[in-house]
Amino acid sequence: MSKARLSLRPSTQGYVLLAPALIVYLLFAVYPMIDVIRMSFSAWNGLSPKAKFVGVANYRAILTQDPVFWGALWNTLIWTATAVIVPNLIAFGVALALNQNIPGRSSLRIIFYLPVIIASIAVATIWKWMYDPFFGLFNGLLTSWGLTGLIMDWLGDKRIALWSVFVAHVWQSVGFSMVLFLAGLQSVSTTLIEAARIDGAGRWGVFRYVMLPALVPTITVVFVLSLINSLKAFDIVYGMTGGGPAQSTQMLAMWAYTQSMQLGVFGRGAAVSVVLLMITLVVVIPYMRWMFKREDMGR
Amino acid sequence: MRMRNALAATLSVLAITAGLGLNSAAAEELKIWTLSFDNESANVAWQKIIKEFETANPDITISLENRSVDEHKAALRVAAQSSQGPDIFFMWAGLGLGGEFVNAGLSQPLDKYYDAYGWDKRLVGTAGSFSKIYEGGRHGVPYTFHGEGIYYNKALFEKAGITQLPATYDELKANAAKLKEAGIPAMTFGGTVNWHLMRLMDVILEAKCGAEKHDALMAMKVDWSTDACATASFQELNDWSQNYILSPFMGIDNSQSFNLFLAGRAAMMLEGDWLVSQLRNENRLADFDLFPFPTGTDRLYGFAEYLYVSSKSGKADAAAKFLDYMLSDTVQQDNLGAFGSISINSNVKYEKIDPLDQKWMDIFGKYTKIYMNGDQAFPLDVTTEYFRVINEVASGNIKPDAAGKAMQSFIANR
Amino acid sequence: MKMFSQAFRPVGSNKVDPVLVALWIAFILLAIIWITPFMFIVFTSLKSNSTVMGSSAFSPPTELAFGNFVAAWNRGNFSTTAFNGIVITFIKVPFGLLVSAMAAYALAKVPMRMNKALFALFVFGTMLPFQVMLAPIFRQVNAFGLINTYPGIILPYLAFGIPYQVFILYGFFSAVPKELSEAARIDGASHFTIFRRIFLPVSLPVLSALLILDFVATWNEFAMALVILQDPRMWTLPLGLMNFQSQFQSDYGQLNAAIIMTVLPAAIVYLMFQRYFVSGLTSGAVKE
Repeated sequence: MSKARLSLRPSTQGYVLLAPALIVYLLFAVYPMIDVIRMSFSAWNGLSPKAKFVGVANYRAILTQDPVFWGALWNTLIWTATAVIVPNLIAFGVALALNQNIPGRSSLRIIFYLPVIIASIAVATIWKWMYDPFFGLFNGLLTSWGLTGLIMDWLGDKRIALWSVFVAHVWQSVGFSMVLFLAGLQSVSTTLIEAARIDGAGRWGVFRYVMLPALVPTITVVFVLSLINSLKAFDIVYGMTGGGPAQSTQMLAMWAYTQSMQLGVFGRGAAVSVVLLMITLVVVIPYMRWMFKREDMGR
Repeated sequence: MRMRNALAATLSVLAITAGLGLNSAAAEELKIWTLSFDNESANVAWQKIIKEFETANPDITISLENRSVDEHKAALRVAAQSSQGPDIFFMWAGLGLGGEFVNAGLSQPLDKYYDAYGWDKRLVGTAGSFSKIYEGGRHGVPYTFHGEGIYYNKALFEKAGITQLPATYDELKANAAKLKEAGIPAMTFGGTVNWHLMRLMDVILEAKCGAEKHDALMAMKVDWSTDACATASFQELNDWSQNYILSPFMGIDNSQSFNLFLAGRAAMMLEGDWLVSQLRNENRLADFDLFPFPTGTDRLYGFAEYLYVSSKSGKADAAAKFLDYMLSDTVQQDNLGAFGSISINSNVKYEKIDPLDQKWMDIFGKYTKIYMNGDQAFPLDVTTEYFRVINEVASGNIKPDAAGKAMQSFIANR
Repeated sequence: MKMFSQAFRPVGSNKVDPVLVALWIAFILLAIIWITPFMFIVFTSLKSNSTVMGSSAFSPPTELAFGNFVAAWNRGNFSTTAFNGIVITFIKVPFGLLVSAMAAYALAKVPMRMNKALFALFVFGTMLPFQVMLAPIFRQVNAFGLINTYPGIILPYLAFGIPYQVFILYGFFSAVPKELSEAARIDGASHFTIFRRIFLPVSLPVLSALLILDFVATWNEFAMALVILQDPRMWTLPLGLMNFQSQFQSDYGQLNAAIIMTVLPAAIVYLMFQRYFVSGLTSGAVKE
């Protein structure tokens, strides 16, 4: 047995080692991506045996006739934009603070990271309960502080529902970016900081001219990761509002799911998926080129 | 003709017995998919019935799967494409929700079993009639037959000085205004489950448009944007939500709204006959009473729920055997009140029933026609849009006339 | 107060920095806000429904209604969902790591045609959000007849977990000095042997970090399970919790007990292995 293996050419051995991962990946990740593009040009209700080719009709339908699509697209974009900024700014601040010589660092780090390891659906359930208009924490606090005028239907009011969900998302995602920032900060050499300080640089000077330049790669990574994570926001919205009230918190990923799996219009759902996929690629492809360039320079 | 039918019936009975004889060698597993019912006694009754059936039929085992409403619909759709589906599934009757699944070929016709077991002889006519509305044969058997009406808190009505129950829609509105004056929210709904608030829109449509126009609207044969009664109905919905519904309501679900109703936070609730059983479980029957929603038409707000046999099931004979057991006089008599106030079996005797159940009996006796819930009349995608428009109107985000336009443009674009 | 003796002193200074003290206080407040949801959940889980509806939201429970946990366990079918979660996670995570490590080794250390292109293909996968294409994944799993089965959920989990792990392990293997493997190659050892005897052992720290990360991710996954596991008997904990929420939203005490029981395993794993989390996250994403 081992003899037979030995006789394989080295490159063949490589392919053997590579095969299981590659096959599973191609079958269950790459193929569905191709399938969704194909499906977006057909009409299929999930019940009949065959799909029918309809050209760009699905795209025309979602772009011109679907009353929810544009809202979902807008929500996805605004959510992504804020999700890239707000939690990361908090995380950066927290990481800077944790990087200082203060007591209780490790327990503080645990507290901020704990929400990250909780299932998103549990986060959704927790916050949905805190937002309960009658017995939840927020309205309870407001009542006891005498601020009854501020009491709101956090998840039921169209004007604020998306942001109520967003707050839960911030709570959950700060810890993730924080850990990455912390790692980045710890890689900034302390000798450099001390040298800068001896040269008379103030707190801001050290931050601006020593730490920030060293953190650029970390910031890029955090930026891209949170961008991708927020484009695919699904669990937390599904769990908290299900897209409601009146589809006002609907997002592209969930709208694609709803169209395909719940309403049975697979073609339109696929078209929504493709739109989201394209938006994702706009971010991913330049990032990958940047990364490979960096890798090459590192060699 | 009669001769031929009789012959067919005999033949099919022979075929069935032969089939059963063949199958009895190996135990068959029947998969049944239903909802996880809010009403706990229905869940308990299902378990009991299954256990008894399995004892009586050792060659058949039954596995029951329960899901919430939306997940059940999604799972059935998925099952249509795989071999993992159920043998018997729960679905509403009607051309909308039930029709979509039946028309897609998910259900198999049960004509031969109707003949063989003589189900028509024991079924309540209105409940059984839904099986005939589909093309290509009779589909499904009735599981329940429900009416929906207004439950009210007697003490709160008294407090607001309401002495007479409303006979017309306008009187109902007047009562709501009286309650509001007394500082009592008139009704409670849960907005997160879209179908709950939809009930209010359904009954308003019936009141404002009348039976014929209402049906035409639901069949999408009348223009929602130009018909005055549709706009007027949206206007009414907006009025209710701004003035008479316990607020906030968009952020809670139906069970939370029921909790608030029990706690006396609102005076009325638009619910089905199953609520009697829920009130009984809470030991609160004495505090509440009910009346049909006054619409001015001669129809009751209600619907039938059916059990269908999947077209993918190769165990139709065993499935029919279970359904026959389910519909039988003894089972229906033993579990009276567990699924709803009345049985779909006409041989069931009603004795010593609670006053609220008696109320429902009277209501069912009085009406011969029903109008269905919107989500059972519309196809799924239109239902989704109907939900959205209702929620928008109720939150005051779009104007009533724009609501009709939104509905119509969605329908026109299908 | 030994803990404080060195505190609040910036690098290269031995004076207490007042700005740091102020910052620290603000920071503690933020941490309190961060932990409030957990407190609220624990409090509610120990209250009966009538207490929840009758008392103020943030008052500590007085009666300790542990019955909520028992009731939620039974109604929520936790024995089934926890079992499924264990089966799926315990098969998927080690198997996925092995397969990924093999692939990463081949890409990093075995000269083949298209090493680079294949690696790029995997890296692309790290950024492919599966939430975007739940329906086609469902179609594919269904085409294999695997809906509602363990393999049916494990295979797509593998497909979307492999890229990230390959990416990280590739970086790690690339950094292993040539000398380590070359001697063995000269002795005539095959790549299989070198992988097993040399590379697998040296990568144990990275592997354990990835193991912990992947454990939590798999345990918590919701969207994919939602479309593939339709049968309640196959549900995992997140699906069970979602169903519990939609059914028993108004049984506040039990709902919160259910949340705690869902969250606890991952939280315990995190607290036990937290140092691996940090190294697992940062080893790939932030290379110095």
